[in-house]
Amino acid sequence: MKIILGLFGLLFLAGCEDLVTKFESEEKGFLYKTHHSINPPTSADTLKVMTWNIRFGARRLDWFGDSCGDRVILSDDEVLLGLAGIADKIEELQPDILFIEEIDVDSKRTGYIDQMQWLLDNTYFNYGAYTSMWQAQYVPSDGIGRINTGNAILSRWNITDVKRIQLALRGDQDALTKYFYLRRNMLIAKIAVPNLNNFFGACIHAEAFSTDDTKKKHVEQCLEELTKITNNGGLFILGGDFNLLPPGSDSTDFCDEDGCSDEHFHGKNDDPFHKEGSNYTPEITWLQPMYDNFFCAVPLTEFQSDQLHHFTHTTNHSDGFWNRTLDYLFSNVNFIAGSDSTHQEAIPLSDHCPVTAKWKVPK
Amino acid sequence: MEGAEVKNIKLITLLLLIWSAGLGESATADESFWVRESAFLLQRGRIEKGIFQPLIYGFSENLEFSTHALAFFVMPNLSIKLSHQNVGNWRFASTHGLIYPTPLLRLISREGTGGIISPEFSIPHLIGISNGVLVSRQFQSELITLKAAIDVGLKMGKLDERTTIDLPLVYPRLNSFYTSCGMKFGLDVRHQFSSKFDILADADWFVFPGSDDGFAWEHKILVAYHSRRNRFSLGYKLVYGEYPFGKAWHLIAPIFDYQRAWGK
Repeated sequence: MKIILGLFGLLFLAGCEDLVTKFESEEKGFLYKTHHSINPPTSADTLKVMTWNIRFGARRLDWFGDSCGDRVILSDDEVLLGLAGIADKIEELQPDILFIEEIDVDSKRTGYIDQMQWLLDNTYFNYGAYTSMWQAQYVPSDGIGRINTGNAILSRWNITDVKRIQLALRGDQDALTKYFYLRRNMLIAKIAVPNLNNFFGACIHAEAFSTDDTKKKHVEQCLEELTKITNNGGLFILGGDFNLLPPGSDSTDFCDEDGCSDEHFHGKNDDPFHKEGSNYTPEITWLQPMYDNFFCAVPLTEFQSDQLHHFTHTTNHSDGFWNRTLDYLFSNVNFIAGSDSTHQEAIPLSDHCPVTAKWKVPK
Repeated sequence: MEGAEVKNIKLITLLLLIWSAGLGESATADESFWVRESAFLLQRGRIEKGIFQPLIYGFSENLEFSTHALAFFVMPNLSIKLSHQNVGNWRFASTHGLIYPTPLLRLISREGTGGIISPEFSIPHLIGISNGVLVSRQFQSELITLKAAIDVGLKMGKLDERTTIDLPLVYPRLNSFYTSCGMKFGLDVRHQFSSKFDILADADWFVFPGSDDGFAWEHKILVAYHSRRNRFSLGYKLVYGEYPFGKAWHLIAPIFDYQRAWGK
């Protein structure tokens, strides 16, 4: 395999584009526009916002990387079916701003369909912002091939000043794996909401499988960026998949639920002892600073009083229901009390469900 | 692409300067060795082998065998080159090849690192058949070769189009298994500017009728130092292709090879 990888490297020795895009600590993101504009509202008293990890349109398919399956490359029909379901849900829920995680724009696994453009052209959204978390000409592993996937914001109103903030890389990987692995990011963009001069949308997809403190660093970086916006007099709404549980969650270890049939954990001779990405126990307080500094659409006390009602994720793709909360909306202005909804009925459409809330536009 | 274009222009300029520096000299290419990809055949009994170039054996005055020996165990392959009647100063030869890439493709269809093709797909038995013609003319210091070939890809079963390897150099060479057949045209110009140095410039066109991604163009320049037994070459390759993800340029540099000869 080293010979194959070596020959691979030679092929890209001095090519026009790096084999794997590495990104600067801060750089511009990409802007998108629909091919058929719909006039946005010229005023807005209330914003309805939504966050959704759409799992690149794969629905509940057993994709190898995040479930116990062996699927890697979807057919075009499978991708379009997934996107159509997502578009229908957007149409039903009518968010004004949508924060998306795991959207593909140029990936072999989803037939190279630009899902950003597809969603803009098949919904009422006019504008989009995209930042990549994984961009490679070829990932020589499991047949993944070419990939470009990341975070996005879709909006009725114009988006400008798209910024990509590079988040800390995992510290628990060997150099070769790290080179070809994801580079998580935070997207920040200015959105021209009527009557708001300084409003920002932010989207984060924190690390999912680290076994060290990478996720904690992601929260710290996120906090730092949002604090900057606040200190400069800006308003923001952040939507994201933090891959962390709310503090006070009853269940924090999902190794047994997430384990595949040939895996065993928690035994004396088991190595690893926990499944990567399934044991949140040592991480349970890491999201507290976000709750301490900002407003969450689902306040912590509300979550703790009825956790099942707010679960947004499951790795069980056959007959499982949501069993943990990983998806959040935060802002430096309070959301309208009781306006939050966790749309658990969307279970066929992704391994995460959308979360919505309403936000009163400050005068 | 700007950076690569500038790099490419500088490299081409340098190589053209080297080439033109030798134009005042006249050196005749020896027709009996280092003649791969021309209508000339190796001398009978001579063997040439490169790190990347195939193993070539001059069997007789009219027949030459070649195989990519290192890859043979995972991708059995064999070609022959036959010389034909000359027409005036033009030499004619034909090439005929067989390749069986299935073991290699199955080897790289795997989970984990080294998985170039997704293991969810099965790779049937595949046989590639190539037939081509080469027409060469030797001028005083230049050897010009025109090439044309038809590649046919035979499949003993279903080959899912999602098994394509969407990489430069690889994609057009396997495309005949997805489109059933493809054509290749080429032009080589080799200038011998001393008895030890030559420079090769070539261009190849790959065409797959009826395919959405049915075109590729490759160009390389190689500067070589050689003796009767050894040949060192260094250069670059520029590739333009249509792939399932769209059109793309790739500059592969440096490319190099070392070839050794035995026998005559």
